[in-house]
Amino acid sequence: MNPVFRPLRELAAALRARRVSAVALAETFLERLERLGPRYNAVVTLTRARALAAARRADDELAAGRWRGPLHGIPYAVKDLLATGGGVPTTWGAAPLRGQTFDADATVIRRLDAAGAVLVAKLAMVELAGGMGYRQPNASFTGPGISPWARDAWSGGSSSGSGSAVGAGLVPFAIGSETWGSILSPAAYCGVTGLRPTYGRVSRHGAMALCWTLDKLGPLALTADDCGLVLEAIAGRDPADPTTADRAYRYDGEAGAARSFRFGVLRGVTDGCEDAVRENFERSLRTLEGLGTVEEVSLPELPYDDITRTILFAEAASAFEDLIESGGIAGLTAPEDRYTAYARDAILAKDYVKALRLRGVMAREVDRVLARLDALVAPGRASVAAMLEGEFRSAIRGTARDVMGAVGNGAGLPAVAVPNGFGARGLPTSLQFMGRAWEENTMLAAAAAYQSVTDWHTRHPGEQ
Amino acid sequence: MSEAERAAEEVDELFALVRRRYGARLTAEELEGVRRGVVAIVAQVAALRAVRLSNADEPVQRFTPFRADG
Repeated sequence: MNPVFRPLRELAAALRARRVSAVALAETFLERLERLGPRYNAVVTLTRARALAAARRADDELAAGRWRGPLHGIPYAVKDLLATGGGVPTTWGAAPLRGQTFDADATVIRRLDAAGAVLVAKLAMVELAGGMGYRQPNASFTGPGISPWARDAWSGGSSSGSGSAVGAGLVPFAIGSETWGSILSPAAYCGVTGLRPTYGRVSRHGAMALCWTLDKLGPLALTADDCGLVLEAIAGRDPADPTTADRAYRYDGEAGAARSFRFGVLRGVTDGCEDAVRENFERSLRTLEGLGTVEEVSLPELPYDDITRTILFAEAASAFEDLIESGGIAGLTAPEDRYTAYARDAILAKDYVKALRLRGVMAREVDRVLARLDALVAPGRASVAAMLEGEFRSAIRGTARDVMGAVGNGAGLPAVAVPNGFGARGLPTSLQFMGRAWEENTMLAAAAAYQSVTDWHTRHPGEQ
Repeated sequence: MSEAERAAEEVDELFALVRRRYGARLTAEELEGVRRGVVAIVAQVAALRAVRLSNADEPVQRFTPFRADG
């Protein structure tokens, strides 16, 4: 079988039936990562020896009839902000940290190991997950992330390699992180499915901290179903991360079958979107009307973007205090990343606390709206991928508005982004579903229902 | 003093602080970029300050007292 661009359940069935070996899968994807990864600036480190050892172990267990679950023997890769032991570097995408190593694996990697998944690579990312204020795609020591859909298009960020590696068929799934947009943006620009879990659903232990109260880890994969399978493996309480919730998570892959959904659309949510993004979203709404109801809703006027941006800037300034104060940021790749963070000393403590107080108001207001809906839907991004050269607009820098992102990340809510068409230059566009806290299964069910009646997620780029 | 004048004054004072801390390591162009950042931050927090909250509106920031086992 050709294992490239196959959903996880298909790969799992082939492995379990011994129609393909875990070693063969690992070798296939290692070869693709090595050969094609440089085209997209997607890979930082191949973990070949570790991968082949894990794959041999999986084959032995499967031959002995010990099946760990649907990820057993399946290759995957992680954004290079997740710590790996064994001397494998963890660079955070930053040139000054190219040689950084840690003693142990991040909790997410340990959990995927326990599920029998096979780590094949660590993937490129925007330096320091974009926390220093980058304005251009070229903001990583590995070069700008490139979308598999066009050599001159950005992959999105900050989980750049996680998006492009899945979109180019270099791995079946990858782990990314989101503080504000870092899973949904590469999912949109690379034409894949991305899941941002509820804050506290997945342990951040061993992950680079950008903002302690905003950071979330989640999967990028080909389908919503794939994302659900991965989430079940990585979710759950972790004593090493006190912000993880004591809530068990079981993915319910049948949750969307034969049910009707109540979708809401924020008034004015397509303001500022490119024409093709708006048209594709409107077509998506017509599709969603076949799966349930769609109604317009509104949130009270609050400075949503300012609330989340203040929290992000203040926490990032503290998280990277050493690098900033020492002048170490001068070694970063994007020129603006070498000085932008200095301005954040201007955030006063009482303004940060005010943002945290307003966050509570924001969380209550959006929950009030979501309580009578299954999901808010919106374009995943307002535009297709930016060109590699030049600046892009960003809500984080205040040059664009992103109420869904500000509210979703500020309130810690889950969201799923799925491909929903193509726009300018033949680049993919995206549809996002955002729901109440802990409603990942509802978001995944809605996204899976959408994918059951559309085929955008089955379209893949050629080898650019 | 108008709101705009108060904001401009705040920008000047906060930028002076930032420049005192880091100015020696920055070029004139970079310093101008930092100043634009301070202007944006002052505008951003002004939007937060404009929203009135009650005394009961607590920050969403869970603090758990620590006690070692044993």
